[in-house]
Amino acid sequence: VTTGDHTTYRDEVGAYLLGALSDAERASFEEHLAGCPECREELERLRPAADLLPRSVEQVEPPASLKRSLMEVVEREAVGAAGGARAPKRRPLAERLRGRWLRPALVPAAILLAIAVGFAAGRLGGDEERTLQATVNPIELPDAGGRLQLEGDGQDGAILRVQGMPSLTSRRVYQAWVERDGMVQPEQTFEVGADGGGAVAVPDDLSDADAVHVTREPRGGSRAPSEQPILTVRL
Amino acid sequence: VVAADIRNLADEEVMQLVAEGSPRAFELLYDRHGAAAFSLAYRMVGNRVTAEDVSQEAFLSIWRSRTRYDPSRGSVRTWVLGIVHKRTIDALRRGAVQERRREQFEGVEERQEAPERTDVEAARREEARSVRTALDALPADQRRTIELAYFGGFSHSQIAELLDEPIGTIKGRMRLGLEKLRHQLADFAAGEFA
Repeated sequence: VTTGDHTTYRDEVGAYLLGALSDAERASFEEHLAGCPECREELERLRPAADLLPRSVEQVEPPASLKRSLMEVVEREAVGAAGGARAPKRRPLAERLRGRWLRPALVPAAILLAIAVGFAAGRLGGDEERTLQATVNPIELPDAGGRLQLEGDGQDGAILRVQGMPSLTSRRVYQAWVERDGMVQPEQTFEVGADGGGAVAVPDDLSDADAVHVTREPRGGSRAPSEQPILTVRL
Repeated sequence: VVAADIRNLADEEVMQLVAEGSPRAFELLYDRHGAAAFSLAYRMVGNRVTAEDVSQEAFLSIWRSRTRYDPSRGSVRTWVLGIVHKRTIDALRRGAVQERRREQFEGVEERQEAPERTDVEAARREEARSVRTALDALPADQRRTIELAYFGGFSHSQIAELLDEPIGTIKGRMRLGLEKLRHQLADFAAGEFA
């Protein structure tokens, strides 16, 4: 199906409005839409009908815990923003490690030299290069994915590439972690581009590592993760 | 803006304050639309725990990406519900709530009505009744297709498989169904539902 195949796309207007297209179909439809006034018009004509559907739902009372936990996060983040400081207000560690996915790292925060991804990438590409796929938290990152490229058993480190990651506020960054025997060691922080893609070098010896994780952290990085991992590659 | 004044602001003005990072404005946004958001998620996933999770994610994404509301694209309420809908569909598609979905659409679901406390809520309940009436007036196959897609989070190809019909037929029904709905609701759409 090409972008110009108008009839096909015109038939998909309803499915698009109802959220019944796959991600790929939706992207392709939107691409067509950008260049097709006729389809845009049809879409806008039918949109009010689709917009009314959620209003047909019988109203149920949300649990009080929903507002409570939302406002906790919002108040905390607002304080951090208002301070404008480089040290955003942080939750107590115990609270942040809800579910305790890891014991706190025993290794002190490594001095994180900014190793250019390009340099690390140059060391890869050997005969035994392996690529491992990441699993993601589907609620936090519905459209994300990632893969870890490492050479041989990972002695020379690896590169983690991600895509479909939401861009974060200016106060937050993504941070990589390496897990060994239930402990995590902080790795570099990184950001993603407007397209949600990014890469970070993990220049450690990964031959005895169990996993590489990614969390969202205050700018500058953390010594212990502030949240459950949102992306994980098992080694 | 002091707290007492905020409550008199229109949604669009509240969103401006949210964009500036005001927790009070965000709270007001939640007070106005949280129940509708939760109700939509609950209708889609069929259990309160998941509905709460999805609603929380949706509202946090609103808080953290405050700038994205565009008044030219419709009301704040429509925008909020659109975000909740997308988030919930993503959760459904990722298998977060796999098993009982079909059952939900086969049988009777649990209903737990909220009390009508204000005139606004009463008006919304009336609105809901009107939209349901319009939905019920659709030919059964169109209504079912729309419900499976919008509330069930099923893709058109999944629906085609479920109902054992060609995909083209399903797509056509979606469009035709929305078309009819639009006609039936034309009277409301201009005014009360804006």
